[in-house]
Amino acid sequence: MPRLPRLVPLAAALTLLAALGCNRPETHTRRSSLMDYLYPKQKAAPNPNPAGARLKLPLKLGIAFVPGASNTWRVQSLLAPGQEKPLLDVVKQSFKDKPWVSEIKLVPSTYLRPGGGFENMDQVARMYGMDVMALVSVDQIQYTDPRWYSFTYLSIVGAYVLPGDANDTRTLIDAAAYDVASHTFLLRAPGQSQVKGSSTWAHREVQLREHAQKGLQLAMTDLAKNLDAEVASFKAEVAGGDRKDVDVVDRQGVSLRQSGGRNFGGSFGWLEALGSVLLLGAALRLRRA
Amino acid sequence: MDPLALTSDALREPWRLWTGHLAHFSWEHCLANLVALATPLLLAGRHDRRRVAFALLVGAPLLSLLLLPSLGGADYRGASGLACGLWALVGLRLAGRGESAPVGLLMLGGLGLKLGLEAAFGSSFLLHPEGWRTLPAAHLWGSLLGLVFALPPWPRHRTT
Repeated sequence: MPRLPRLVPLAAALTLLAALGCNRPETHTRRSSLMDYLYPKQKAAPNPNPAGARLKLPLKLGIAFVPGASNTWRVQSLLAPGQEKPLLDVVKQSFKDKPWVSEIKLVPSTYLRPGGGFENMDQVARMYGMDVMALVSVDQIQYTDPRWYSFTYLSIVGAYVLPGDANDTRTLIDAAAYDVASHTFLLRAPGQSQVKGSSTWAHREVQLREHAQKGLQLAMTDLAKNLDAEVASFKAEVAGGDRKDVDVVDRQGVSLRQSGGRNFGGSFGWLEALGSVLLLGAALRLRRA
Repeated sequence: MDPLALTSDALREPWRLWTGHLAHFSWEHCLANLVALATPLLLAGRHDRRRVAFALLVGAPLLSLLLLPSLGGADYRGASGLACGLWALVGLRLAGRGESAPVGLLMLGGLGLKLGLEAAFGSSFLLHPEGWRTLPAAHLWGSLLGLVFALPPWPRHRTT
């Protein structure tokens, strides 16, 4: 009996330690990899297509989220049903007025198999009649760090009242565009976001889900902006001959590589300008006479 | 992207329909077009000045709209399309008047020669600019618009 009182404080200390241990920093990672989707079985880097790509404007463009390596995670698990489309719509809206795009299709990611490779991409592209596929991969990490007063969670009330969790959601989205016919890589653009907040222990999971959605939306907006700049840079590279594997043909059938991407100007040559000055002089002299 | 150049964004940013004819790629480009534009402006008869001003104001956006399908994703800058329009307009008006008919015919002939050479030899038989190419469609559409503006009767200014 005399040993029992000595064990009580020890057990209490261990319980406290275990309870505090429950509230240690946590990390959630969600990832879908483009490489795992397109090159699931290849260890070495694939050889580039020697034929290259010949893009005829205007393009039919498809956008889809790449599935994860296994079926364990898909981007839909972050979103309520029907929210995938509005997310991809962010990119669609920013490109709908571009003259080089005739049509943008949003492909449900359920149509893409994990590790489906180019074969799967071709099937989907054929189904939608697309020339170029933009494959969007997601890398999202959520950190939860306990604040100093998170020990109040032990009081149960504190777990429902005090926001002792600091939540930080970082999202990186990467869009890679491929020519469907030749499987040539065209361009890539990143989009990123960071969402921070505090929550109670009881509300933590709800907030993390909300931040995951918000982080994706913000990253998609950033992606749309960056994609616009990357397209301009891609056009300049093709026009400058830096991309030997790609050529773009405009609506008039003029190759961008041959035209050098030059703009149009309405112009009179110096000889014509000189002719008009002579004509003006002669006319004014005639009028005086 | 130049905020004044004529691009496919002109449907959302309508000022480009006018400013595309004011923007140029270089001072040399601007000067040559200015000379070409000044010639018909100085030769226009007193009775045709309102018509010329109207053609400049209304013809500029009409010409821009006609050029938009040819541009694709490129920019267009330059006043030569408008200049061709004025050459056609003033040339036709002068050709219809007895004393100034030779000047008008000369203007129409010169314009026809330019359009013909551009059609035969392509866009840059006289000019080889860096970074842009001539758009013969601008000169052709401009000339046609000029002829259209020259034809309808214009209300005469009443003198009391």
